Amino acid sequence: MDLLEYQVKEWFAEIGIPVLPSQRIDHPTDLKRLKIHYPVVLKSQVHAGERAKAGGVRVVETTIDAIAAAQTIFNLPIWGELPDVLLAESKYDGQEEFYLAVVLDTAVCRPVFLGCKEADVDWESAGERMQHIVVEQEFSPFYARQLALKMGLQGQLMQSVSSVLEKMYQLFVQKDLDLVEINPLAISNSGQVMALNGKVSINERALGRHPKIAEIVAKMTSRHSSSQINGHLSNWDGLDMHGKIGILGNGTGSMMATFDLVVGAGGKPGICLNLRHAFLTDTLPTTFCDRLTKGLSILAADKSTQVILINLLGSIPQAEEVAKVIAKFVQHETSELTSQVVTTNSNGNKSRQQYHTPHVVVRLAGSEFNMAKDGLATLKTQSNALVMVENLDEAVAEAVRFTKPVAAKKRSATR
Amino acid sequence: MNLTPDSKVLIQGFSEFISATHIAQMKAYGTNLVAGVNPGSGGQQLYDLPIFDLVEEVVEQFGAIDTTIICVHPYQVLDAALEAIASHIRQIIIISAGVPPLDMVQLLRKAEAGETLIVGPNSPGIIVPGKILLGTQPSEFYTPGSVGIVSRSSTLTYEVAWELTKAGLGQSISVSIGSDAIVGSSFLQWMQILDEDETTEAIVLVGQPGGDSEEAAARYITEAIDKPVVAYIAGRQAPAIKNWRQTGNLATVIGRAPNFGTAQSKLAAFQAADVPVAERPSQISELLKKAIH
Repeated sequence: MDLLEYQVKEWFAEIGIPVLPSQRIDHPTDLKRLKIHYPVVLKSQVHAGERAKAGGVRVVETTIDAIAAAQTIFNLPIWGELPDVLLAESKYDGQEEFYLAVVLDTAVCRPVFLGCKEADVDWESAGERMQHIVVEQEFSPFYARQLALKMGLQGQLMQSVSSVLEKMYQLFVQKDLDLVEINPLAISNSGQVMALNGKVSINERALGRHPKIAEIVAKMTSRHSSSQINGHLSNWDGLDMHGKIGILGNGTGSMMATFDLVVGAGGKPGICLNLRHAFLTDTLPTTFCDRLTKGLSILAADKSTQVILINLLGSIPQAEEVAKVIAKFVQHETSELTSQVVTTNSNGNKSRQQYHTPHVVVRLAGSEFNMAKDGLATLKTQSNALVMVENLDEAVAEAVRFTKPVAAKKRSATR
Repeated sequence: MNLTPDSKVLIQGFSEFISATHIAQMKAYGTNLVAGVNPGSGGQQLYDLPIFDLVEEVVEQFGAIDTTIICVHPYQVLDAALEAIASHIRQIIIISAGVPPLDMVQLLRKAEAGETLIVGPNSPGIIVPGKILLGTQPSEFYTPGSVGIVSRSSTLTYEVAWELTKAGLGQSISVSIGSDAIVGSSFLQWMQILDEDETTEAIVLVGQPGGDSEEAAARYITEAIDKPVVAYIAGRQAPAIKNWRQTGNLATVIGRAPNFGTAQSKLAAFQAADVPVAERPSQISELLKKAIH
């Protein structure tokens, strides 16, 4: 997940990466109390890229201009995202602009420094101009100097750029990040360096040991509960394909294999979740059953979900609890439907199609599940909302079958 | 590699990923589980195992330990593994899922220097059907035989094993190397191990998008493996833009192809290596039977 520029710059300032004097603007009138000198750059604080092209960055010379520009930017959605805050920053004239980054490369299992003497990197053709150094062993500043030299820098500039890289690395390790990027790093006439813009990607896996970052993330997720923020939050460790068959699996591979099978059988997968890990928004430890409960409610809350396909195979902790969670879900959903039908029948002004109770297809196999299966089998007789299958291919076929007749009905209704 | 019933095994920590059932299953399978380490519980018995506060105390009492199975909280994995390495344990299986990647970077630096084999994190471990179980693999899906399975997924590993068992193909050894973004051992290492293993006659490789471990294995198969290999790649229908926690996307500028890490790139690599690829788990046994004859 990515932080906003003003948050990134707070971190840069703390660790000693040079940034310009700036001020957070929550409302256009805040500009009356501006402590930095004009000319000032106003920047929309959104996650979307290309905000300058979209009109989210303006240079202003006076307070009146600034307030007018701020009003415009506050009301300008960029890729569907409106800013909550703006950043007012001193204007800076750089002679040159560089690109710098520290990123975790999971293919070599090491952090990698990236550097380029151009700021607007064209990633397609960056190959030759982009330099990199793999931090093979424990970090030491020489890795940063290696990159600066590879970029073709010399003397004082080589020293100041490598000192920035060193601080980027410190930040990267201290806060468990996936990426720290400065783009651009401006170089003035006198060879002074300045981070004009930056990007930080947080590693969700480490949130639990950074309470302050977890707080920031919690605020962001509560504000953007739907699939906003460039999908950074919603599709983490899962997929949302807007189809009718929601998938719950225990492990990435299992979830993806189920996904492939559903597509292969002519079905459309919807939200797919991996239950093996805690969800991004869980800051406290969870159990498998907690995640199953949450996964089921996420799928049920999605109006396009017609079928929930749960694929669990062996080695699940608390098999009996799992059965209870599924049973509770099915019964609750069914009773809720019944009560809704009763209430609206008395009102008589809502149609039946408005409720949606997903069918649940449960694929369970493994000795630990035998007891669970017996428990669920008795439920099966009470409601046709639950189908139990042991064979994966058959379970997928069942799930796909449930979506077909309804789809046919819908088509005829719209005709 | 010491994967025999006489190798001494230790468990470090207990969490949701390992239960009493798993431990009973390991013991019933003949695994020589000698003790557990759970700081603060030293001197107690847990799940019928003597518990110690430190790994070195276990070594003092039982002598050199061959394998440790780490089940501590993901944030304590690095510490537990470093403690094991300090006590000269050379095979480490990490069951815990969700270990912060920078911890893994640190651990791998240490492990590579001392030639320690690390399986996982986020792995159900290794099973040699009929002989030894190191981890949480559900043994009921396995039968002894001659097919080696190496996988990056956990549940999918048993899925494949069970399909093989149902088709009458037993397994020689099955390992899930773990599905976290950064894991210890690679497909390539395991292809080498399975190639040298005398009981293994054919190999099934189960991959998924992310990284280039499958591609490296495919190249290695062309160069060095004469045993029949069948592959299965999950996630071929999943959108390619999603990089599945593999944060190597930015570093793809380092002379890597634009389709780096995608299922398509992996499928192409196996095609180039003349390795048959199954469309679905239930098809693997069919392809394997063809490949063996």
